[in-house]
Amino acid sequence: MNTPSGASGLVAEGVTISYGAVPVVRDVSLRIPDGGFTMIIGPNGCGKSTMIKAFARGLRPAGGRVMLHGRDIWSYRGREAARRVALLPQNPIAPDGISVRGLLRRGRYPHHTLLRQWSPDDDAAIGFALERTGLNDLAEAQVGELSGGQRQRAWIAMVLAQQTDLLLLDEPTTFLDIAHQYELLELCRELRDEGKTIVAVLHDLNQACRYATHLVAMRAGRIVAEGAPAEIVTPALVEEVFDLRCEIVPDPQTGTPMVVPEDRRRAAAAT
Amino acid sequence: MTPIRAVSPRGVVTFGRAVAIPVGRASVVVVIVTVALIVVAAVATLSLGRLGIPLADLPGAVFGGAEGKEAFVLERLRGPRLAVAVGTGAALGLSGALFQTVTRNPLGSPDVIGLSAGAGAGAAVVALFLPGVLPVPVGALVGAVGAMALLYVSTGTGFRNPGRLIVAGIGVTAVSTAFTQYVVYAVERDRATALTAYLNGSLAARSWEHAATIWAVLLVVAPLVVLVAGRLVIGEMGDEVAAALGAEPARTRAVSVVLSVVLSAGAVSVAGPVAFIALTAPQIARRLTGGPGPHLVSAALVGALLLVLADLAAQQSPVPGNLPVGIYTLAVGGLYLGYLLTREWRKGSL
Repeated sequence: MNTPSGASGLVAEGVTISYGAVPVVRDVSLRIPDGGFTMIIGPNGCGKSTMIKAFARGLRPAGGRVMLHGRDIWSYRGREAARRVALLPQNPIAPDGISVRGLLRRGRYPHHTLLRQWSPDDDAAIGFALERTGLNDLAEAQVGELSGGQRQRAWIAMVLAQQTDLLLLDEPTTFLDIAHQYELLELCRELRDEGKTIVAVLHDLNQACRYATHLVAMRAGRIVAEGAPAEIVTPALVEEVFDLRCEIVPDPQTGTPMVVPEDRRRAAAAT
Repeated sequence: MTPIRAVSPRGVVTFGRAVAIPVGRASVVVVIVTVALIVVAAVATLSLGRLGIPLADLPGAVFGGAEGKEAFVLERLRGPRLAVAVGTGAALGLSGALFQTVTRNPLGSPDVIGLSAGAGAGAAVVALFLPGVLPVPVGALVGAVGAMALLYVSTGTGFRNPGRLIVAGIGVTAVSTAFTQYVVYAVERDRATALTAYLNGSLAARSWEHAATIWAVLLVVAPLVVLVAGRLVIGEMGDEVAAALGAEPARTRAVSVVLSVVLSAGAVSVAGPVAFIALTAPQIARRLTGGPGPHLVSAALVGALLLVLADLAAQQSPVPGNLPVGIYTLAVGGLYLGYLLTREWRKGSL
């Protein structure tokens, strides 16, 4: 861990971000718990992806600051910040003809300089990332020829090769089938157990409740509630955030909250 | 001093502890072969034809000092022309590779989006309306910058959306060409005739001054290209990944576009808007080398080779009156552009 002081890894202080004139994130303050698995949920357009980008210098706040280890994230040099926090966006572009290993090597970019574009640590970092994502046998395969699940694992491997303590994932499960979704979430949980701080934007509430140690619910550019899933997820919250009437039952596997949407026809018949 | 040696099985060139740069084997092969072919084409350029220096005399003439007719051919006729061809081809290849990488599209090329046409218009104005007031290269640079500014504004999204870039670029090319035609019609006929050859891209009657101009541009720009090359590689993965890896995509794009404009303007100022070298060279380099990456060095070398070959064809062609080299690159490159457009259209990216 290269946390220099006791300062928390990532903190948003009154962050406002606008696309054009319309603010997408309004005056949001959020402390990402160190060593936790934080998930941000909310309806489309609530500002959750915008927020996660702001945490990795993908967008510059119009107001407020994002603090990384106690310093404004924009006061770091590009590569310096990228050695501390990694982001996997929703739609990364794999260059034509790149191999899995080639992709991972690019994840090492923050550790290189103009004259040292290779370091002995590279092989170890790339080996670790391949191992953890189960891609050892596919290291020389072309990224363009992988299946959806394998490709997403390759991208996860790229951000792992970056060797940061903070890992941000923007809807990492979107294009995966259900088995691969859980496989990826399990991997994130293991990485978190090993000491990484993980932040993810997720659409599936039940998955978020099961895996998150800290849940952040956003609506219309503001945080509506945050805390442990069991403490904050209630029918009232789900209705406030998603306009969805539901019942909350304990997940039969884990006991975490599980959202069961109300059946509208049945509800209509009852009244 | 520690000698240069490879320490990794994957080919990392090291120099002591300070330098470690991975080099792909395919890139090395492409570079060596291309340089060898440039040398062969250069020898052919100097030795073929009625005025050619016989092959047996060539080493003596080049390294030992030439006399009489050979000296005239080497020092006045073909030597400078060859130096201009190599430099201009390299500048165009590099310029194209930069712009294509930044726009992530093979059609986002200086000659397709109006950069060359704009530089030609600027050069025409300076050469015909303000002779002696401003140097022609300055006119070319002003024209190129003007065309790119027009392009930047008319896409509405800067250089980010390749589709819009190409459509708007066709418009900018048309405006620039119309402007050049107006200039040509507005001046006396014989001066316009000389300009017409120039506007097709010509290497005829080039002097060492032209060669010095383009090589100076290359020597100034190349180190700056080295500085952005690493960020360009990362930029291929999209702005969001690049930003998260610390490669500062917006600044990289801006710097690369400026460097590309300067290279193209330099090339246009010495040889006129030679068509399609900037479009084709990076694509050929990419296919030869395989794999990702902007292949900047290969693109520059392939550009140099293409232009030397095209000019060799222009010099040795049986067509009377010595067609300008731009006609050859236009004919061959036009076919290639058609192929690329069809392919992009099939892929659905246009």
